[in-house]
Amino acid sequence: MRTYEVLFILSPQVPEEEATTLTTEFKRVAESLGATLKNEEAWGRRRLAYPINKSNEGIYHLLVYETTGGLSELDRRMKNSDRVLRHMIVRVDEDIKRADKLAKKNPKKERVRPAAPQAYPPAVPAEEVMPAGSEDAQA
Amino acid sequence: MATMTGGSKRPEGRGGDRPQGGPGGGPGGKKKFFYRRKRVCKFCVEKLEYIDYKDVKMLQQFIPERGKILPRRISGTCALHQRKLQNAIKRARIAALLPFATD
Repeated sequence: MRTYEVLFILSPQVPEEEATTLTTEFKRVAESLGATLKNEEAWGRRRLAYPINKSNEGIYHLLVYETTGGLSELDRRMKNSDRVLRHMIVRVDEDIKRADKLAKKNPKKERVRPAAPQAYPPAVPAEEVMPAGSEDAQA
Repeated sequence: MATMTGGSKRPEGRGGDRPQGGPGGGPGGKKKFFYRRKRVCKFCVEKLEYIDYKDVKMLQQFIPERGKILPRRISGTCALHQRKLQNAIKRARIAALLPFATD
């Protein structure tokens, strides 16, 4: 089972009704590919960090899917639609799994940490000794 | 090696640490020690293992004015998390959540 995040940005000229029909259309395509919708977020109108196709705004929409197959048909549809300014399909299950694993490991580190804060308080004199070692570590 | 770190220090001065580093001046060697703090990886401390590209506010802490990715030597992020951060920032850029460059 793979988890995909599908983020797409619709052109700001698209009227609201068309935006909803487009998203339902995309959802229908994904469902026909055997994907199940896990989460949906409509961010609405957002300023873009840089203009895309000369527009400074976009209608953001995020869909999270779980599937055993791919979403290439959805990808193709979004690519071909001129209403979609930008879309991105990202596989996240592996990263999240890895993160969970690390999160389980991490509590051990916390026990070691209380020793470290002692390194901060001595303001200047102690620090002049430290960099010699830390510099080597950097290089 | 000392001169090497001295050279690499300069961009840092231009970026965030200007108020501290600027007027003091003095011999290069001494100045170097001035604003050296023990830096720790933010993600290791807060145990944020998954770096989400959608979390713009968090990512912005690692984006200086110019829109570049803050180097590890300044932010103190560990190698593993810097790599994940880098990927997250690049994804956020594609999604137009963060700029590729600003001037």
